[in-house]
Amino acid sequence: MAARESGRIKDAYQKRVLDEAARKRRQRKALEALEQDNFHDDPHADLVMSKKVPKFQESLDSRGAGRKKKTKSAEYYKQRFRKTFAQLVEEELNFNRTPPNYASAQAPASRFPDRHFCAVCGFPSNYTCIPCGARYCSTKCLGTHLDTRCLKWTA
Amino acid sequence: MSNVSFILDNGACTAKVGLSTASPKLVPNCIMKAKSERRRPFVGSQIEECRDASGLFYILPFQKGYLINWDIQKTVWDYIFSKEQCSANLSQMPLFITEPHFNFPSIQEAMTEIFFEEYDCQSILKINASGLSCYHYRNKNPTAKCCIIVDSGYSFTHIIPYVNGVKVKDGIRRIDVGGKLLTNHLKEIISYRQLHVMDETYVINQAKEDSCFVSQDFYKDMNTAKNKLEINPIARDYVLPDYTSLRRGFLRQPEAPGEQQTLRLNNERFAIPEILFHPSDVGIHQIGIPEAIVDSLKACSEETWPHLLANIVLTGGNAKFPGFRDRVLKEVRSLAPSQYSVNVVRPEDPITYAWEGGKLLSRDSRLSSMIVTKEEYEEEGQAICYERFDI
Ligand SMILES: [Zn+2]
Ligand SMILES: [Zn+2]
Repeated sequence: MAARESGRIKDAYQKRVLDEAARKRRQRKALEALEQDNFHDDPHADLVMSKKVPKFQESLDSRGAGRKKKTKSAEYYKQRFRKTFAQLVEEELNFNRTPPNYASAQAPASRFPDRHFCAVCGFPSNYTCIPCGARYCSTKCLGTHLDTRCLKWTA
Repeated sequence: MSNVSFILDNGACTAKVGLSTASPKLVPNCIMKAKSERRRPFVGSQIEECRDASGLFYILPFQKGYLINWDIQKTVWDYIFSKEQCSANLSQMPLFITEPHFNFPSIQEAMTEIFFEEYDCQSILKINASGLSCYHYRNKNPTAKCCIIVDSGYSFTHIIPYVNGVKVKDGIRRIDVGGKLLTNHLKEIISYRQLHVMDETYVINQAKEDSCFVSQDFYKDMNTAKNKLEINPIARDYVLPDYTSLRRGFLRQPEAPGEQQTLRLNNERFAIPEILFHPSDVGIHQIGIPEAIVDSLKACSEETWPHLLANIVLTGGNAKFPGFRDRVLKEVRSLAPSQYSVNVVRPEDPITYAWEGGKLLSRDSRLSSMIVTKEEYEEEGQAICYERFDI
């Protein structure tokens, strides 16, 4: 390892260490990111008309045999059935506590130990970064990790 | 009653739709907006008209596998039932609609209301997609008393044991890993390692479908992937679409960088699907599919075990990864009691397998006792749906 690199690693290690709560927060954020529908913003957000989606007028005629019925708008149903996922889970906790249900069906933790992979290259890793707890496989990857992630976007 | 039905397998990413006399159409169950087309959003299959799908923005009706955004869903359903797509006269035929396991009561009730009151349905049948898959399997394998359906889709993966066609609710297991998480994880690691693709869900999802496979020997493949290119049969380049000369990317042997923009894929190719087998690889502390199959088995009575293990059926988009079936078989074999034989089936099309089950069910003479008619709903309300449908 180059002397410059080892000096830099030593520096980083002396600075500070993320506590358990911060590490958990980071992990939770990473999992939330895996649930996201989009990383970027709505490209039409600045358009006033962008909420208007096409109407499929033909479908209305084919629906009822002769009986012309007023159909309700998408917005109506948005308001009528408005409930977030968190609210639904909470409702179930309050009203349907007897398993089997959504909560009880969740797969339990494995009896096998976790596997560890380098946060930089993805290959199996044997080492843990002292400041943040990320895994790495080599001094080269540790260097990259310290330069790019480690404590750089601390929550 | 005529025996034509309309079948809507309402997936969180793709709706599988069509008349039971036809073949299923795959319709993206979302609204998409493109950077390149500012005049209009694309609903469902309209995305095929989009010239440049880079930076596509998704608006989905589902969150975590459950129907949350009703305005989006209503818009996509209007599109599906329109002349542009399927042109079904729902007041003249039964509608089969799938719902996720343990669907929340208020979503179930909203579904019933919208189909009877908005879409004027003559009658409906609500069922889990795995219920249709079970029907399909039993129809083709009449001697199978039991089966385990593995449904690995966009939002999550379910393991559902069926005994004599009835699901064993205590045995249902949900793993919170699906295709969406795999694509997002691939996006994340490519963006960190080589090229910022966080805005390119559409393209990276295709890259995942075109490149990833399930390893049969994970650590051996990891070692192979460490080799330099000349002796590394895993490393490939994925040529990204530019939407002028290339509309969909493709995988090829690694080459020196040229005109086209490429991604170098190596251990990513098998580390991504691996999350289905080890969710803890990304910090989700749940068992993977083979362990969940055995866990589910153990919730059923022991006399059913040989029948369940002999009839494991893999459905949903993730079942399309090459090597998926062999890996599930290998691991379930090693985890299950050794006196029983294990058989794992991956249908030819694991995505439309449930829909095709609906097609077979539409000809079943018992159908009229399974559906709820509009008259029954008007008389008895939501209660009749809870009584008749087992969601
Ligand atoms: Zn590394
Ligand atoms: Zn670190």
